[in-house]
Order: sequence, then structure tokens, then C-alpha cells
Amino acid sequence: MIMNKRITGIFVVLVIELSPWLCSNLFSQTTGDPFTGMAAVTNRITVDEQSVLERFVHDNFLFRKEIYSQLSWSREAPGSSNVYSRQSAGFEAYKKFSTKTATVAAFDLQFRLVRRDHFLPVVNDMEGEDRDGFFAEVHNVYFDFYNVLNPFMSDQARGSNVGRFNFRAGRFYVPFGLNLQTDTHGTLLQLSNDRNFGFERDWCAGFWGSLTPDIDYNISYLLGSGYDISFDGQDGLLSGRLSLGSRYLNEFGMEGGISFMSGERIFRHTTMRTLSSMQERDEHETVDTIRGGLDGRYSHIVPGGTMSVSTELSAGSDEQADIFSQLYQVDYLNRSRKWGVATQYRRFWQDSESDPADSSLFGEFTWYFRNDIGNTTLHWVKLNVEDQIEQQEGARDVIVSVQYYRYW
Amino acid sequence: MSLFRYNTTVTGKEYFMQKAFCFALLLNLIWQVSGAHAAVGCTLSNPSQDLKYLFPEMSTYREDVKALDQMADGRELFQKLKERLGSDLDPVYETYETPYTVYTIFKGDNVIGYVHGVNVPGEGGVIQIFASVNPQTGAMSRFFFQRLESTVAKLLKKKEFLSQFNGLTLADFYKHDYFSKVEPASTEDKVAGIKNPIPSGQNDSDYRSTLRGVRKNLILLDMFVYKQKDEPFYKRAQEVLAEKKKEAVKPLEKKQ
Repeated sequence: MIMNKRITGIFVVLVIELSPWLCSNLFSQTTGDPFTGMAAVTNRITVDEQSVLERFVHDNFLFRKEIYSQLSWSREAPGSSNVYSRQSAGFEAYKKFSTKTATVAAFDLQFRLVRRDHFLPVVNDMEGEDRDGFFAEVHNVYFDFYNVLNPFMSDQARGSNVGRFNFRAGRFYVPFGLNLQTDTHGTLLQLSNDRNFGFERDWCAGFWGSLTPDIDYNISYLLGSGYDISFDGQDGLLSGRLSLGSRYLNEFGMEGGISFMSGERIFRHTTMRTLSSMQERDEHETVDTIRGGLDGRYSHIVPGGTMSVSTELSAGSDEQADIFSQLYQVDYLNRSRKWGVATQYRRFWQDSESDPADSSLFGEFTWYFRNDIGNTTLHWVKLNVEDQIEQQEGARDVIVSVQYYRYW
Repeated sequence: MSLFRYNTTVTGKEYFMQKAFCFALLLNLIWQVSGAHAAVGCTLSNPSQDLKYLFPEMSTYREDVKALDQMADGRELFQKLKERLGSDLDPVYETYETPYTVYTIFKGDNVIGYVHGVNVPGEGGVIQIFASVNPQTGAMSRFFFQRLESTVAKLLKKKEFLSQFNGLTLADFYKHDYFSKVEPASTEDKVAGIKNPIPSGQNDSDYRSTLRGVRKNLILLDMFVYKQKDEPFYKRAQEVLAEKKKEAVKPLEKKQ
């Protein structure tokens, strides 16, 4: 036994000592091509024995669950109502529909059941003001129809117009500014539309696609009623947007565009309703609206991670009152994708006799448990501080928010 | 009036209990949904323009989402991917739950190509690699970076570098495993023939990540589209390497 162990030991030492020689000997040998005459195997086509329902939920069907918990503390709110609680659970279902040779449509539904207590006017929940307690919310519900003119085109014409004439209908992001290409569904920091129009999503229908290889377009009709489908005599809004094609994002890290919106929306969604001079006005009245906007975002590698700088500028009027809205944001995401910081300054100015502007400065830190590329699985904790620098109505406040979010 | 606001008339505790029950019921329903699916990852940000650029003669295209975590043999395929890649998968950039999209490009009713993309971790962040392949042979016809967070991005995006991958197949990568160890000078090793655009002395890890990304892309395409048609080459390469190792150890055993 002892001899056997010794021999084994000597053998192991020899192998270790001689391994460099072994490798060089092994690698220096010249042999024939061992792959000569080999071929790939022919496709083994498998027959799908799934029912129609199984096919529906497995074939291009995406389902994600979501939980969201937020606590916000206000320096100014009185007594026990200075802590706002927002808890929710929800899901997103997304389905694409294809024929044998083309993907022709998609459907998206994003839903949350939310519980709110002691509402505070936090920037990420402006819709929640009159939703104390439980509320079932539909965030997105829309259909996309791709290449809708294909049935009327030859194969050649289909090829040259692919991606040009897509149609979307339902409730989704207002196609103004960066929001169409930015997912703010779970984030605390938001873009300008909510403050600018009184809603960041509306009921819309319109065409979108690539105008040229460099320019994308979106032209939509919006109901102008915000969350609810309401017809209060408003004409609705016509919106148009031209934006840089994705090539600019991929090659230069640049996104941007110009937007235009004009028409009528319902008064209760305007920022004017918060002004005391407007309190007596009927909330069902309509408001003439006009806006022009310019936006951009630039992302670049910096030591240790990626930094992006965003801006949204918009000018126009609600009735006779001129409006100017500005937003500037800087984000840094560490290369590990484990943590990030962001800061945002936003200002909304409206021509009025008294305090004409709201402005805030935000600071935010995020720790990511999961942060997939493409937002496929998200899991984070955020700490956000808002310092209100100017207020149109009420006292300036400091609001501190902590958020737990999971999307999987 | 909101479309979704409840119009109950009960109040107080009863009201709260009703709502809490609905909430719990909904949570339960959500959690019960089998086969959780993912939001779309690894997609072209503007498929119509990108595909038209790759296939100017195309008429239509179809998107098919492929998620390993939805496939009956998903775990097995994930393990196979790791083995065939020859390295561990990154826990942030290359998770089991990451969904992929295969684009099938048509001219009339005929398939003229497949396009598929993957993420791999690079030195400065994500590297997103899309490859188009010949539908019959699976050979690469083109490849491009959709995202390349790298300090050497300009060098890697040069046409002279990208064009070297044209015509490569997954089988070439599997053969490379053998040739690079046994016959480094072999002209049969097409992968070894690719010229690194990063000057020697500089950090070329993003070049190596690119090679890894292309290989990963072809492995997944082989699984999703071709039912692993290049598997014999992988097995052959592994067999021959194992034989060579055995042969090299034999003289030592005799000496013992």
C-alpha cells in the first residue's frame, strides 16, 4: 500500500514537473485535419405539439411581474401626514403577432394595483393626488400595427418602405420630448411631460416609423383627457415629433429631437388649476394648448462607468399664459451596473401675476440588485431627495423618498 | 370618473377588507402565472432600418423571441452554451433570464437571412453584437456592434476588421479550439487568421470580448434556428483534444 502511494506521488510530481514539456510536445505535433470530410447535420425539424393557448403564451408572449414600494417624507407637511406611502403590485403582458413572413402587430398591457396613504405631491406620482386608498391603474394599453400599408404594396415597395408606416392606438407616453424613448415606469426621476401637460400618458392614435435612415417620426392625435377617456368638448391635441434615428445612439451615444403639439385638452389636467386665481374655473372646461420642444441626450464612457446628460426644453402657452419648461439631468452608472447616481434640475415657468415658477433640484442614489441590459429584469433600492427651490403655490418643501422596486 | 375606480358603497373596515381581499387575490393571480416571461432584450433598436441596411433586397421580416427560461430544456441549453463558449457567463450581462430575438428576413416568401444579437461584458461596459447569417449554411454574412462601450471602439468598428468575419461559421470556432492548441500554424484555422486591430502593447480585452461575443451569437443561433447543426464539430474537437492529451500522457505512464 505504502509503495503504491509512493509511486502515485512520484507520478503526480513527474506530471507536474513535465507538464511544460508535455504541452510543447503536444502542441508541436503536426497532424492531419481531423475535421476533413465532416459536415454539419441536417436540420432536425421538431413538430410543435402545443395547443392554441400554449402557443399564445409561449410564442412571442412576454409576461413580467412588478412590485413597487415607496415612502416619501415631507419637511413641510403637518404632523402624521408627512409620510406618504405608495405600495403596488402589477404586471406587464406583451404579445407580438406574426404571419408566416412578417411580424404584423403587438399588444402591450401594463397594470398595477396601488395602495396610497397620505398623498404628497412627489414628482413621480402626480396622477395619484385624488387616488387615496386602493386604485387599479392601467399604465399602458396599446396596439401596434407594423407596416400597415403592406397589403397595398408590391414586394419591392414593401422592402423600400419597411418600418415606415406603423400605427399605434391606445394609452401610452405622450409623444413629446424624450419620453417615448425613455422608460420612466418604475423610476422616481421623471421627465417634463407630467408637469408640462398634466399627464405623461394619454389616449392616442397615430403613425410612427423611420422617415429616412437618420430621422424617425411620430404623428399622433391625443384625446387630451389624460388618464380617463373623457369627452368634455375638447378638440384633442395633434402632436408631431422628429427624432434622430437609432444609428446616432449606437454610433455616437446621441438621442434627440424636436416636438410640436397643438390643440385643446381638459382644464383639470393643466397646471393652471393649481393657481388660486383659477380655482373657480370648471374642471370640464377646455384649454387651448400649444407647445414646441427641443430635447437631447448624450451618453459617453467615463472612468469607471457611463455618464449621460439629458435636457428637455419646451415653450408655448396654455390659453393666453406663456409657458417655458426646462429640464436638465446628469446620470452616472458604474460599470458593474451595481450602483448609479443622478441629479436633475427642472423648472416650469408660467406667465402669471404672482409666483410664476416651480423649480426643484433632485439628487438620487440607486443600488441595483439586478440591472439587466434592456431592462429585462430590474431590482433596486433608490434614495431620492427633492429640494423645491421655487413654488407657484404653497411653501417650498424638501421631500425625501425611499423606493424599493422589482420587475421580473 | 375613472374607468377603473371601484364604485362600492360599503365603508370603514368592511370596505378596507374588501379591497385587501381583491389586492391579495390579484397578487395571488399574478404570482401564479406560470412560465414568467421577460421584457424583450437583445433587440435591434430600429429593426426595419438595420435589417434593410443588411439586406437591401428584403421585403418583410419576422421577429421571434427566444427565452431560455421559457424552454423545456432551457437549463440544459444554458449549460451547453457555457461549455461551448469555454468560459463562465457573466451574472449581470449574460443571465439565464435574458431573452433573445431572432429576426428572419424574407424576400417574398423566401428566407434570405437571419439576424441575431447578444450582449457580452466589455472593458468599459456592454458590447452588443449583431450578426446576419446565410439561412442555409449559417455562415456570417455581416456583423456589427449595436452598442460598444469601449475606449477602442473606433478600431473595432473599422470595416477592415469587421469584414474579416464574413463567411465564418460556428464550426470554424469549434475547429479553432483544436487548431489553436495542436496546430497553431494551420491555415485551416480561420479564426486565428483574424487580425487584431488593437496595436500590441495596448489592452486588447475588448477585441477578445468581441470574438467571444461573435462565438456566443453563433452558438445561440445554432440552438434557436439550426437545431445544433454544428454540434458534430464541437464533439469532434473535444474528442481529438482529449485523445491528444491521452497520447501525451502515455509515455509518462510507460516510464512509471
